Amino acid sequence: MFNYYLRLAWKSLWATPVVTLLMLIAIALGIGSAMGTLTIYHLMSADPIPEKSAQLFAVQLKSYDNKQSSWGMNDGYPLQITHQDAVNLSHSSVAVKQTPMVRTGFAVQTDNPDIAPILKSVRAANSDFFAMFNAPFAYGSAWDKNSDQQALEVTVIGAKLNQQLFGGGNNVGKILYFDQKAFRIVGILQAWQPTPQYYDVNNGAFRTGEQIFIPFALIASNKYRSWGNNNSYKNEEVNTFDEKLVSESHWIQYWVELKNPQQKNAYQAYLKNYISQQKQLGRFERDDASADLKNVTTWLTYNEVVSEDNNVLVGLSFLLLVVCLVNTVGLLLAKFLRRAPEVGVRRALGASQTQVFLQHLVEVSLLGLTGGLLGILLAQLGLWLLKNNYEQYQLLTDMDITMLLTAPVLAIGSSIIAGLYPAWKICRTQPAVYLKSQ
Amino acid sequence: MLKMQQINKIYRTELVETHALREFNLSVNEGEFVTVTGPSGSGKTTFLNIAGLLEEISQGQYFLDGVNVVGLNDKERSRLRNEKIGFIFQSFNLIPDLNLFENVDVPLRYRGFNAKERKRRIEQALEQVGLAARMKHLPAQLSGGQQQRVAIARALAGEPKFLLADEPTGNLDSLMARQVMELLKNINKQGTTIVMVTHDAALARCGQRNIQIVDGQVCDFSLYDKNPQASAFENPQTAASTTTTAASIA
Repeated sequence: MFNYYLRLAWKSLWATPVVTLLMLIAIALGIGSAMGTLTIYHLMSADPIPEKSAQLFAVQLKSYDNKQSSWGMNDGYPLQITHQDAVNLSHSSVAVKQTPMVRTGFAVQTDNPDIAPILKSVRAANSDFFAMFNAPFAYGSAWDKNSDQQALEVTVIGAKLNQQLFGGGNNVGKILYFDQKAFRIVGILQAWQPTPQYYDVNNGAFRTGEQIFIPFALIASNKYRSWGNNNSYKNEEVNTFDEKLVSESHWIQYWVELKNPQQKNAYQAYLKNYISQQKQLGRFERDDASADLKNVTTWLTYNEVVSEDNNVLVGLSFLLLVVCLVNTVGLLLAKFLRRAPEVGVRRALGASQTQVFLQHLVEVSLLGLTGGLLGILLAQLGLWLLKNNYEQYQLLTDMDITMLLTAPVLAIGSSIIAGLYPAWKICRTQPAVYLKSQ
Repeated sequence: MLKMQQINKIYRTELVETHALREFNLSVNEGEFVTVTGPSGSGKTTFLNIAGLLEEISQGQYFLDGVNVVGLNDKERSRLRNEKIGFIFQSFNLIPDLNLFENVDVPLRYRGFNAKERKRRIEQALEQVGLAARMKHLPAQLSGGQQQRVAIARALAGEPKFLLADEPTGNLDSLMARQVMELLKNINKQGTTIVMVTHDAALARCGQRNIQIVDGQVCDFSLYDKNPQASAFENPQTAASTTTTAASIA
């Protein structure tokens, strides 16, 4: 009977094109707005590395002095650590993998004189970075530990930059010039863009990630300045780069990979010892000086990557969907009740109430599916407009398969809910009333 | 075929109770052609709706082809209605968006026949009413008489034992009405029981028996032991006077 109901639904929708169009517009608007905001929310709140999010931890140190009652975030921990702490911590062998990192940048050139220098942001990190954050290589690999230790001028570049500079392909071994210093390409990544960019949320979690990676040790040796946030609680003279390196200025992010609770306990013990040691050296003056480890999901919540405004926006768009559906209920009710005489005939010819009910539910489902598909198009249009007008939405406007599947399910589901009352009302039609009067 | 015993049908509103049928008793045998007449508001339509399982009774017993329909749920009543009863309405009640083939198909869909069987029955039914060549036409493209023939084809396609006709010629001119009545008589001759409600005294004589309903009760009936149907159409005035005579004798 389903095919029969489907055919009747098709005929019915075409029989009243204006009403059908109005209902489709209402559903499409509701679904479009709901799906648009939901897509952004979904991408914002997604776990960017589900396979490892519980094993990667951001390291925070409460290193400031007693003059501050609290500094940093609400829990009293700054988001970043000092350069000297980053260097010290990177000597630890407790963590499986670890990396300090900072965003910097410089002018990029190739040997090709036709390509003008490009100003690019760069991520300085240790070689563990790539394995820790599952960055996939298309060609070559990460630089070796020796490059980390010796601050060798090697680089890994992203697929996009590889395409931009070389037109793609394997360019491992070629030379790039960063601020006129020659860097050898050792690896080229595949297209890779964690969303949100959880490992550094200082400059916005949803901006496009860096396409150039260099050893962290080069920050000190080449005096690369931070392109991210620099915070300090201490009033100290910082006139030179070398002074900055030993200052209490917080500008380095630090991440570790700890595979299990035992490793985490061991690392926490290590940090505790480190703080005691630093206290003896006159740093970490506070009685409550301590360290904290936050995994990826906690880190994203902690940094309020999904703001309260986004939650409100999703709520409002669903409210719009409800308004659209209430309108659809009214239109469906009017349409179905107008068809009461036909339903009376069908009932007289042997249709049960259930069959009439199902026939009309199939019709609203078809309507919902069509409206849902139109809604996806509307949502895509809205997202495209956002993408082209606001840079911060660049990474949040690509509807993934989950969202594409959610839209028709949401559309059909909500249309069925909208159609339940009209379908129930029409199936309760007393056939005798209409058979005489038709 | 149809047996109603002590049936009461009461319509209740907040203010009024209306007794549409009151201790209504009637038996119709298999193969009979019974006509039902009565003044407006006498309960003819209520009787027809109850007979066609479109309304439930307030009290009493109703057996349709041996099945006690009292207490059946909607699904069982719908099934019984689909299998046993064919309806013919005054205003044809064809579904305007469906062509003739699809209109006749409606009851067969609910019966659950496969496509091949449905096609066979639809073609046969439309053939029987002389409209096989127009099965792709929409109802609006047909005359009133043709539309009523389609409605008859729809009623016949399910091969019901029992045809309920409510003023089947009420919206037709005399020529078309005659054709429709001829069709009904032929159907009855083939063994289908027919109960036909009519205002028209001449048409009432087409049946083998006429039931008069007044104030929700069977108040009178007339038996025609001859075969007056044909002449009733040819000479309605004579037929009407014969009915009166028969009624007064009864």
